[in-house]
Order: sequence, then structure tokens, then C-alpha cells
Amino acid sequence: MNKLFVIGIFTLFVQQAKAQFSKADLQATGLTCAMCSNAINKALQKVGFVESVESDIKNSSFAIVFKKDASVNIDALKEAVEDAGFSVGGLRLTGLFNEVKIAPDQHIKIGNSQFHFISVKDQVLNGEKTVTVVDKNFISEKQFKKYSSATKMDCIRTGKAGTCCTKEGLAEGERVFHVTII
Amino acid sequence: MTNLQKQFIVLLIVFCPLLANAQIKYGADAPEIALPAVNGDTLKLSSLKGKVVLLDFWASWCAPCRVANKGLGKLYSKYKSKGFEIFGVSFDKDKSDWKKAIAKDKITWLQVNDDGGWEAPTAINWRIDAIPTSYLIDQNGKLIAMDLAGKELEKKLKEILED
Repeated sequence: MNKLFVIGIFTLFVQQAKAQFSKADLQATGLTCAMCSNAINKALQKVGFVESVESDIKNSSFAIVFKKDASVNIDALKEAVEDAGFSVGGLRLTGLFNEVKIAPDQHIKIGNSQFHFISVKDQVLNGEKTVTVVDKNFISEKQFKKYSSATKMDCIRTGKAGTCCTKEGLAEGERVFHVTII
Repeated sequence: MTNLQKQFIVLLIVFCPLLANAQIKYGADAPEIALPAVNGDTLKLSSLKGKVVLLDFWASWCAPCRVANKGLGKLYSKYKSKGFEIFGVSFDKDKSDWKKAIAKDKITWLQVNDDGGWEAPTAINWRIDAIPTSYLIDQNGKLIAMDLAGKELEKKLKEILED
């Protein structure tokens, strides 16, 4: 009985958002021309939850469509790009939101991942929205410095939930993705 | 023959064609390419036998390819009369991008387009995973070098065409 009560309390704290990411736009950078190699394309296509990849030549980016209702692991996209010999210069995720309240430094669970909103106004997200990942190695070093100064919370540097977040129901050390809305 | 030996031979027979196909080898005949030129006429790589041909895979959106075009222009005007030809194959999906790049880079050598990007049949057949990629083909249609550019390419052309 006590256990049930505790689980009940935790469920109240962890906000499971009514949202699902369906696609992404990824920019790759490297010493050589990223668009001139098919390696990134091939590596991204091998990622389990990726349905399709199209090179968007005009924007020098890769348009990725996720499999329907698949659980999306953003780190797997980064690893694919890095395995191909390049790095991620930008990643924007697009999905449908339904009455999702966001505020600065708020943790929200979307799919299987925790998201931490940085430099946003208090607002309610509805319909198709795009968020930009601002974690280290997902943006340029200069941009990362700018975003990491926007929060005092340590997870921006480690990418992981600290002891401070356990009261919200996050396990210490759980991966937290930092995003903003541009 | 034991069962194991039989299995081994079966495996060899199954995989040999794959192995043979895994890499384009020097001294091998250049696989045929027949694609539309700017005016729409089909142009065949094999029609250039008797000339030394630089087969150049590129696309308008490939910045390093565009830089290389400048250098190729100089070599082309220098060695064309001595039996040198360039056969450019673009993977542009949009033919107008290809045509604009030809005009902008003042390309006067032969150009064809396979408009499927990385999935273009020519890209798959020639195993092109990055551009620019180029092959040098001798007068008999044999592949003799890969990715020669700048001074190295000029040295090779001198060697073949001026001796």
C-alpha cells in the first residue's frame, strides 16, 4: 500500500508530455565537405528508429523521418554521424504537441527521453513545433557557451540529471537533453 | 569429398562474383556509361576510345568539385589537342542546377547527368561514396589511375600524351 502511494506521488511529479517527435533536421560538420560524402546518409539510415534520410542540398542538412511511434534516441543520431567521421553542427526536432506547458529549466518527458527547456518563455505548445538541441557536441562550441550560461543547473554541462532533479522523479544520472525554441 | 569441402566450394562459387565486383581494379575495362548530355543526346563513355579520358564524378552542390573545375579547365585547354578528353558525370537531381553550374564554371568538356543523387545507377555501379572522385582511362578504355588531381594529373598526362 505504501509503495503504491510512493509510485503515485512520483507519477504526479514526472510530467509525461503529450508529444511525439516525428522528424529531424541535422547539420553535419567536418574537415571535408559533409554533403559530398554518402557516409553520413548511410550511417543515419542504419539507425533503428530512422525511417528515411534525404540530403537537403540547399540547406546543407539531412532531413530525417522517424518510424511511426518509434522511441527516438537522439544520442544514436550523433553517434552515427561521428562514426561516419563527422560531427553534428545542429539538430532540430519536429513533432506534434498537445497542451504541453513549458518554462525555463522545466524537465519534460517526451517519448522515452527527458527534455530540459532552456531560454524559453513560459508557454503552452500546441500543434507542430520544432525544438533545437543545445547540448554539447550538438551545436558549435560558441553557441554552447551561450546556452550553457542561460541556466545555473549543472545538467547542461554533463547532459545528465543531478541530485537536484531526483525530487522531480528523475533518476540521478539519467540522460537529459537540453532544447530551446528559436 | 567431405561435406565440409563441398560446402566450402559452394560458398566460393556464391561469393566469388561478389569479390570480383567489390572493387574497380586498375587495368580493368571501364564499365560503360551511357547518359544524356546537356542537349539530351545520349553520350557513351566507350565512344571515347583512342583518347585518354578523365572520368570525373561531381555535382553542382559539391563545393570541392566546383573548385576542381577551375583547374580542370586549364588542363583541358592544354591537352585537348593531344588526345585528352574529360567526361564529367553529375549526380545532380535537378538538371537545371547542373546546367547552371556548367555555365558558371565555363565547362567546355563533355558532360552527362545521372539525376539520382547517391542512388543514381552510375553511382551504385561505380561505387561512388564521395565526390569528387575521378578515374583516368587510357586509349584502350582501361582504368589506369584514380583521384589524380592538379600537378599529379598533369604529370601523368604529360607522361602518356607527350612521350
